[in-house]
Formats: sequence, structure tokens, C-alpha cells
Amino acid sequence: MDWNLLALSFAAVFVSELGDKSQLAAIALGGKSQSPQAVFFGTALALLLASFLGVVLGEGTAQILPERLVKGAAAVGFALLAVRLLWPSPRT
Amino acid sequence: MESVTLSCIVSSLDSEQSSLAEGPSRFWRVFASTFITIFFAELGDKTQVTTLLISAESDSPWVVFLGAGAALVTTSLLGVWVGQWLARRVSPQTLDTAAGILLLVITLGLLWDIASL
Repeated sequence: MDWNLLALSFAAVFVSELGDKSQLAAIALGGKSQSPQAVFFGTALALLLASFLGVVLGEGTAQILPERLVKGAAAVGFALLAVRLLWPSPRT
Repeated sequence: MESVTLSCIVSSLDSEQSSLAEGPSRFWRVFASTFITIFFAELGDKTQVTTLLISAESDSPWVVFLGAGAALVTTSLLGVWVGQWLARRVSPQTLDTAAGILLLVITLGLLWDIASL
């Protein structure tokens, strides 16, 4: 095991993720939700799968999935989550 | 593929809002909507770029993946913790509004990225 490389990967990704939109989303959803575990597992698994694809496919990701489409899907997802939070809740 | 994903998000959000059900089904709805949104947000984003750059320079991409994965799990955990911590100090209405606005800002950021591609 190359511990230097492991530490380098951890530090690089940790620093670049702090305050990034995924973490902000985790904060926003984690505070509101009755199921913080679901938010944690959903966030963590999505991030793991995305970086797994990064390692496996390398530069191929951009060719298989156009960035415009992927970011568009993400924008719709965030918009729906935002609307759900801002819409007057039927429960109250 | 996109439309399938979107309808999946929509239906998972709808069913969550309309039902008071607790337990496993609620867990999976929150899980699914979070997972799908974050997954797309993160595909092609800078974490992936970082991972890519390091793995391109090394012969052991799995070590890179292990390091990156551990970091991502840690930042997710920190995020949810901060959210829970805030939830104990701020009223639910304020928190909902702030979280909704935060998510809208992220949406606008993504749209800005798309427009400037």
C-alpha cells in the first residue's frame, strides 16, 4: 500500500469537497430531514460512485455523458429539492 | 435516460411530500432523491477531475480511489452533522427557507456553468 498516495488523494479530495455544493446540499438536506442517515448514505454513495466512474473510465466519462446534460439533470434535481423545502408544507 | 431519471426524482419527491409514512419506505425515498441529485452534480465535477489527475499520474488507481472515497464519506458525514447541529439551534421554518435558498443558489450555479460551457 502506497500510504503517501493514499494520504495525498484523501487530502486533495477532502479540501476540494469542503464547502462544495455536495456538502452544502448535505447540510441543507441533513438538517431538514427526519432521516439524516438516508441523506448521509445517499450523499456518500453518490460521491463514491461518481469517483469510482472517474477512476474506471478516466477521460471517457466526458464522451459517454455530455457535461451539459449531466449538469442539467443535477440542476433539475437541486431545483426540485429546493422547491420541496420552500413550498408551504401540507403537514403544518 | 434523462427523462427516466427525472421522472424518478419527481415521483420520489411527490410521494415523500404526500405521505406521512415513517420507516423504511421514507428512508429509501430520501435516499433516492439525495443520491440521484448528488450523483449528477458530482459527475464531471472537480472531485472527479482531481481523482482523474492523480490516478493518471500513478500506477495504483485503487489507492487513489480509496483515499478519495474516504474523503468523500468524511465530508458527507460532516455536512449532515452540521445540518443536524443547525437544526437544533434554528427554527424549522428558518432552516427550511435557508436550505431551500441554498439549494436554489446551487441550481443557479449549475445553470451558469451550463450557459458558459
